[in-house]
Amino acid sequence: MPTAEGQLTNSDRRNMKVVMDRLVPPVDDLPGAGSMGLLDEVERMAEEHDRYRVSLVRFLDALSMDMSVEAEGGFLALEGEQQDEALKEIESSIAKEFANVLEVVYLAYYSRPEVHRRIGWRSGPLQPLGFTLPPFDESILDTVRKREPFWRQAPD
Amino acid sequence: MSKGPVDVLIIGTGASGAAAAWRLSEAGFKVVCLEQGGWYRADQYPTAFGDWEFRSATSFAFDPNIRRLPEDYPVNDKNSDVSPLMFNAVGGSTVHWTAHTPRFHPSDFRVKSLDGVADDWPISYWDLEKYYDLNDEWMGCSGISGDPANPPRSQRPMPPLPLGPDGERIARGFDKLGWHWWPSDNYIASQPYRGRNACNNCGPNGLGCFQQAKGSTDVTYIPEAIKNGVEVRTNSRVFEITTNSDGRATGAMYYDDEGIEHHQSARSVIVAANGVGTPRLLLLSKSRKHPDGLANSSGMVGKNLMFHPYAMVSGFFDDAEPNTFKGALGNILMSQEFYETKSRRDFVRGYTYQMNRSTGPAKTATGFTIPPVQWGKGHHEEFALRFGKSALLAVISEDLPEEHNRVDLDPKLTDSNGIPAPRVTYKVSQNTRKLLDHGIRNAEKVLTAAGAHRVEATPVHRSGGWHLMGTARMGTDPATSVVDGNCQAHDADNLFIIDGSVFVTSAAVNPTPTIQAIALRAADYIINERQDLKA
Ligand SMILES: Cc1cc2nc3c(=O)[nH]c(=O)nc-3n(C[C@H](O)[C@H](O)[C@H](O)COP(=O)(O)OP(=O)(O)OC[C@H]3O[C@@H](n4cnc5c(N)ncnc54)[C@H](O)[C@@H]3O)c2cc1C
Repeated sequence: MPTAEGQLTNSDRRNMKVVMDRLVPPVDDLPGAGSMGLLDEVERMAEEHDRYRVSLVRFLDALSMDMSVEAEGGFLALEGEQQDEALKEIESSIAKEFANVLEVVYLAYYSRPEVHRRIGWRSGPLQPLGFTLPPFDESILDTVRKREPFWRQAPD
Repeated sequence: MSKGPVDVLIIGTGASGAAAAWRLSEAGFKVVCLEQGGWYRADQYPTAFGDWEFRSATSFAFDPNIRRLPEDYPVNDKNSDVSPLMFNAVGGSTVHWTAHTPRFHPSDFRVKSLDGVADDWPISYWDLEKYYDLNDEWMGCSGISGDPANPPRSQRPMPPLPLGPDGERIARGFDKLGWHWWPSDNYIASQPYRGRNACNNCGPNGLGCFQQAKGSTDVTYIPEAIKNGVEVRTNSRVFEITTNSDGRATGAMYYDDEGIEHHQSARSVIVAANGVGTPRLLLLSKSRKHPDGLANSSGMVGKNLMFHPYAMVSGFFDDAEPNTFKGALGNILMSQEFYETKSRRDFVRGYTYQMNRSTGPAKTATGFTIPPVQWGKGHHEEFALRFGKSALLAVISEDLPEEHNRVDLDPKLTDSNGIPAPRVTYKVSQNTRKLLDHGIRNAEKVLTAAGAHRVEATPVHRSGGWHLMGTARMGTDPATSVVDGNCQAHDADNLFIIDGSVFVTSAAVNPTPTIQAIALRAADYIINERQDLKA
């Protein structure tokens, strides 16, 4: 459970790393989001934006206080499928906070160059490169141009 | 301490305030603009950084309640089906806007006469036509004339932006069904224009434009206004428009960035703080002559809020490579096949389709108009289906005015200066619901005709309050409207309101060219008929 000041404890970090692996699992040669070492980035983002920080703290509170999880010896002691079940329960009980945690994990994961390589996205700033598209070609208007004007007249 | 009088004090430097500042300054009026935000340089926009998607979700988010910058004010939108979006900086919400710029139709100004609903405007399309043209020139319009759904218009200053393979595909979908479509008019430069670069198709142009290809007023009207001598006073948050014992405007009280109060006196005041900020300010400005808020003898200030609720319909395509993120986000094409009332339908008025593209990887995963990509098992498969392989038809509905949809002052919530924040109450009407459902069904047909293998609809996009209209409506009768057809307040002849607040009805298109045309026309009224306001 995070400290009163909202700092993550070592146990929170261990939990969160596994949570992140469940949220974004391994694919091809990439590990899950937690094993990729993205927790620091998630924490940094949460530090920068309060909505994420508050949600992360509530989420980790909920995870450590979940009775069924506790009864099994904590989140880390659960099998993968059970971990997913526990996360689904938290998702339905604190939907907004869960959504924010998911958002910040996705933001961290989908900012990684190795992920970009896999999905076919160019890393780095969008500018000044932009993208190239062929210029507008008027011949595409051939069909619609045959239509008579049909806007409605109105009294002045 | 009061600063010496100017001819015109303009509150807000967004789409409307900037246009009026330029026009008035051309005619020699002495103008000061008070703006609660500051300047942004192009290299401060998110797309200049590798973490642009994080910035767009946080410090550059569309929603001020998420952004929470000191210059933002919070909006209580708990009782609203739609969240109002805006930006507070020099350029106002045009820093954020996507600059899709259709015009109203002639029929939009005559809905009462034609369809028996709401009210007619005191002005017509033809009163605005030359101001639309002037604005197209100054903001920099790319497009092509000849659209059969609209009255003829002059040659566009620049050719259309590229449709891209995704735009062409959707265009063919419309063609297959025999339905109208046309390349959108956009205030985005398709070629270098007046010192601004051409668009380089980076995509998310709602995040400020690094190339200055997008016409936001901080790069169009404001620099010219400043050359004419206009003073833009930034980080200056107005909390009261002051009046004298006759109830006429005398200037405004504002806080600077250190929280120090100032008064700027003026021979006239123009309010251009948008459809939420303007009623807020008028309601804050109570006096003996204006006990219910400035210019509110009709009780209409804050009422009749209109948003254009959007339904969003996404189509997913089997493309070999992800590519639908290339090109300006919402600046491709539109269809007005279903724009006008048809008696066989169970709703009045109509809608426009605006095509939108997809965007970067994180935004794809977190979902924009559809829920986030599922987490856990199946995540990567679902992501691959969506990423760079989708197109969206946004259904922009006509939103008819209803008094219970409104902006008032929140009894508790305040901004960083302790000024009461606005509270928004808004419900999507039955007419709008039917209209959106019709739009969703037909969008599914278009996307399927275009080759989509899956279509997904969001009935109302909650984070879609881009258009803020109706909260200080114009009209000829002072008992039922706030300003006249020239934007002059019925209750104070030196007070003008020139933003989307004055809209009588919303039409079914993005509003900003119409807002700016109205602002330019109001400025011309002041220049031609109100020389008494000039020292
Ligand atoms: C993300 C997004 C996308 C959009 N896309 C489109 C589009 O494609 N096409 C289209 O037509 N429209 C679009 N819009 C809407 C468009 O931006 C607005 O219609 C337009 O900017 C409104 O102009 P305005 O002058 O009324 O207000 P704004 O442009 O919002 O400007 C108001 C200004 O007033 C200032 N202000 C407010 N209160 C105070 C105060 N108390 N003291 C001092 N200053 C104050 C604000 O800081 C702001 O700068 C979009 C909007 C957003 C947010």
